[in-house]
Amino acid sequence: MIHHHPDNNLLLEYASGSLNWAHSLVVAAHIQLCPQCAAQLKLLNGVGGNLLASATPTPSLVCEEGDVFSKLMQRIDQQPETADTRCPDSDRGTRPVRDPIFASVPPVVRKLLADNPVLQWRRLSKGLKEARLKTGQSEREVSFHRIAPGSKVAEHDHRGREITMVLYGSFSDADGVYTPGDFLVREPGEVHRPTATQDQECLCLSVVEAPVALTGLIGKIVNPFLSIKPQ
Amino acid sequence: MAATKPNQGGASSVQVTDQKRDDEWSGLLVRVGRDRDRQAFERLFGHFAPLIRGFQFSRGGQSSAPEAADELVQEVMFRVWTKAPTYRPEKAAASTWVFTIMRNCRIDALRKSSRQPATDESLNVEDIWDDSQDEQPLVFLQQTRNQHAIAAGLESLPPEQSHVIEKAYVEGKSHSEISEELGLPLGTVKSRVRLALKKLQSTISR
Repeated sequence: MIHHHPDNNLLLEYASGSLNWAHSLVVAAHIQLCPQCAAQLKLLNGVGGNLLASATPTPSLVCEEGDVFSKLMQRIDQQPETADTRCPDSDRGTRPVRDPIFASVPPVVRKLLADNPVLQWRRLSKGLKEARLKTGQSEREVSFHRIAPGSKVAEHDHRGREITMVLYGSFSDADGVYTPGDFLVREPGEVHRPTATQDQECLCLSVVEAPVALTGLIGKIVNPFLSIKPQ
Repeated sequence: MAATKPNQGGASSVQVTDQKRDDEWSGLLVRVGRDRDRQAFERLFGHFAPLIRGFQFSRGGQSSAPEAADELVQEVMFRVWTKAPTYRPEKAAASTWVFTIMRNCRIDALRKSSRQPATDESLNVEDIWDDSQDEQPLVFLQQTRNQHAIAAGLESLPPEQSHVIEKAYVEGKSHSEISEELGLPLGTVKSRVRLALKKLQSTISR
């Protein structure tokens, strides 16, 4: 059961296409697991559809509409007839992922994994590992985090907004317990200390806008390594 | 499907006509997808091309070069042709489906213009904005009814709420860009969006 969702404001930015690439990626991953937000997205897309339907029609000023249409048909005729009937699971996204922790990730994350065949895990602290992902965007860092069973992540603060989604296992902090599909937004200045549940490892997908600042001694050691390096 | 009322004039007849029209575009899209029907596609083009242009022209601050609009129309309608076999009328009204394709085209264009030479291709827009894998049972009622409820809801919004909604969709602006442009605190923009969506949701579930 998913308890934490992106708010309507974020979903609207996603639906209207103004949300940045990296954040859209996490929102998409959540929507693929969350029927409630998928339904909300339908409404939001419907708003866009209505605005399109009620736009004031503007005829072409450059050439006649017929010219644009015949150019388009030429392009279609030059194209081999390969209707876009691809099934989302039919291509690279289905490559088996050996690690069971990735077994039931949403399709968009599977594609992301296919684009990052070799994950380089770096130890950030005891019980916390991170692998940065290539996502073809430059302002935000997208990464996987895995927290060992029962492990506490060093208390940390954020200098920029951090969006995290749980993919496997669960963790908790002072505010609650987060399980697969849960979507969390941490604004700068919110300090928290996630702990993975005892029984299993926890995998999260996260997008960070600015370097995460760890507080305390561990922070002093780890912080220099946490500068953003979008790939 | 509810029986179509005879056209009697007045407000209700407008709705009936609109509904018929919606079904017509959906039907044409199905024919394009299933039969690769060029006549059906030409009629869709005749309907949507001027709307896409109109949507684009009303974007404030955007260059409204007609050449660019023609390119957008071509690109959107090309994808409409290619993707038509995946269209399911029970899932989305034709205008909503075309809107999502247009949105993806805009995201693609924006990405291409801002991409750094060193970054790789990686995920494409349809990996992220894709509802083709959506096999959820329909949570809403019949989609054309929703479409009308949304239209009615949009019309009944107070101007300051519909204004931010339009800015978001038509101009493709994020909340913070809208807040900067209108000189409103971000919180005000967010709460206007929230109120507007609450109202739209209540119209749908009525």
